[in-house]
Amino acid sequence: MAWFTDRNYFLLAVILYGLSTLYSVFLWRKGFRRDEWVNYLLLAFGVALHTLAMTKRGLTLQTCPVNNLYEATTFLLWALGLASLVYALMPRFKFLCAFASPLLFTVGIFALMPSLDPPHGPKPEFSGALRSLHAATILQSYGAFGLGAVAAGMFLMQQHNLKFHKLRAVLSLLPSIQRLELITFRLVAVGFVLLTIGLVAGWQLPRPAGKPYFSDTKVVWSALLWLVYLELLVARQFFGRSNRKFATGVLIAFALLILTFWITNLYSALHQP
Amino acid sequence: MSVVVIGLSHRTSRVELRERFAFTNEKIPQALQALRDAGLAAEATILSTCNRVEIYAVTPLAPAAGVAELKKFLVAHHAFDGEVGDEIYGFAEPQSLHHLFKVASGLDSMVIGETEIFGQLKEAYELAFTHKHTGARLNRAFQRAFNVAKHIRTETNIQRGSVSVMSAAVELAEKIFTSLNEHEVLVIGAGETSEKTARALLSRGARSVAVTNRSPERAVALAAELGGRAVPFEQWPEEFVRIDIAISSTSANTHILDRATLEPLMRRRKNRPLLLIDIAVPRDIDPAVNELENIYLYNVDDLQSVADDYLKLRLDEVAHCEKIIAERVTALLNQQNLRRE
Repeated sequence: MAWFTDRNYFLLAVILYGLSTLYSVFLWRKGFRRDEWVNYLLLAFGVALHTLAMTKRGLTLQTCPVNNLYEATTFLLWALGLASLVYALMPRFKFLCAFASPLLFTVGIFALMPSLDPPHGPKPEFSGALRSLHAATILQSYGAFGLGAVAAGMFLMQQHNLKFHKLRAVLSLLPSIQRLELITFRLVAVGFVLLTIGLVAGWQLPRPAGKPYFSDTKVVWSALLWLVYLELLVARQFFGRSNRKFATGVLIAFALLILTFWITNLYSALHQP
Repeated sequence: MSVVVIGLSHRTSRVELRERFAFTNEKIPQALQALRDAGLAAEATILSTCNRVEIYAVTPLAPAAGVAELKKFLVAHHAFDGEVGDEIYGFAEPQSLHHLFKVASGLDSMVIGETEIFGQLKEAYELAFTHKHTGARLNRAFQRAFNVAKHIRTETNIQRGSVSVMSAAVELAEKIFTSLNEHEVLVIGAGETSEKTARALLSRGARSVAVTNRSPERAVALAAELGGRAVPFEQWPEEFVRIDIAISSTSANTHILDRATLEPLMRRRKNRPLLLIDIAVPRDIDPAVNELENIYLYNVDDLQSVADDYLKLRLDEVAHCEKIIAERVTALLNQQNLRRE
């Protein structure tokens, strides 16, 4: 029974994400021609194990499990996985899982690095309702941005195939590019609202004495991130930025987010109590 | 007693011969009664479409004799005095059931995988059923045929995609726009193919059609036919701000739409995608416009290539479908043998 720890449940979830990724390669090569459930089920089982892992950790800590980089990353991935499953129930969106699983798998592998999950004391330093709200909404916003990037990837692939008369654009069962673009916009907009709420909640938290606030790496990074997504939304909505450039921007913004998320956390005095 | 089938189809005869053997719906019950009165069939159904005329019957005669007598009946019933040989084919079990399943699934159709034949076969069966010319054998065979056809339609790619230029254009539009009912179509040049394409788009829900033509009378006439509006030929570029799909098929010798004309109009469209279908030869639209953001330009060769690839996909699926049919025919025959025992 000792084997069934929350980390091992998460490991099993990542293995399922990996299988889903392998299957996605197959679907990719086949051109997304058949509406099928295999990938959806693999991802669903993965998310179920992932939920179990997080629940176990949360019950142990008696608080929302977002207290270190491992927990923050698994929370982000969970939000992304769950949202993928919900969106995939929409007509012609089942292939969203094929685009989401590689992201879940690669970031999941990274999250499993032991150094990201140092042992807690009897009670995590990072606790309290407002802190939980701050961390959870921000991580959910990253999840929405991630899913937006997945939809943007689908849009760019389909748009390119249609533009250059690739037959797989017509053969595939992906949604129309107009719909994919709208979904991308909505996900980014939801992510932006969540990020704003999370940042406002963080602003309300008591500031630890002796630690810089406005020059804190994570605070600066979060403000920049907020500005980047604001610019993407405003340029698309009010300044006629093309759908392709918007989708490319969403993809790049999320790639930067995921690549710098851990580094800024490690360099942040506020987030390393 | 076994199920037999005789008939002519687009595979064995030309339309001039098929039309001589065609039955109108009103005459079919009489013909079925005549078949039964003559002792050739205990149960029967007649399928008569533009591509085939077939009699499916449960005959009390030996299968080979039944097939021969049914052929004679068909010729005599239509008082045909010409020569017929291999044009009229005939099959006994299990080939007759195999043929029925293939017909229901669209595998024996001129356009492989088409679904119209399914409805026609169902209608033919219901007509015979209503007039009490079917019994346990034919009912079971036809019900199985409909089940197999549905199974093949959902489990294989035999009916996927468009095998004509017009339907390929519609399919492309559906890959770009979420719902066609929010989009207007502009027809530039009132040719036959553009008209058919516009009709196909309308049948899939396109909101409305605008027609423009060098001869305004033709534009007005086609617009009226399609329930749309006519646009003076000098004013059509302005329409690009409103419409989302344009079909061009004028007889112009040079490009009538180029990048310089479209670029300022695209800015006014505020990022809405625009599908341009150029079915004119020589081409009406400068290929360079495809380099513009949000424009998807397809010419007649591009559409034909989509249609050809779909056809290839369907042909690749035939073997898979044949396998399903063979299994289902064997299952049906085994079930019948068990019932007999």
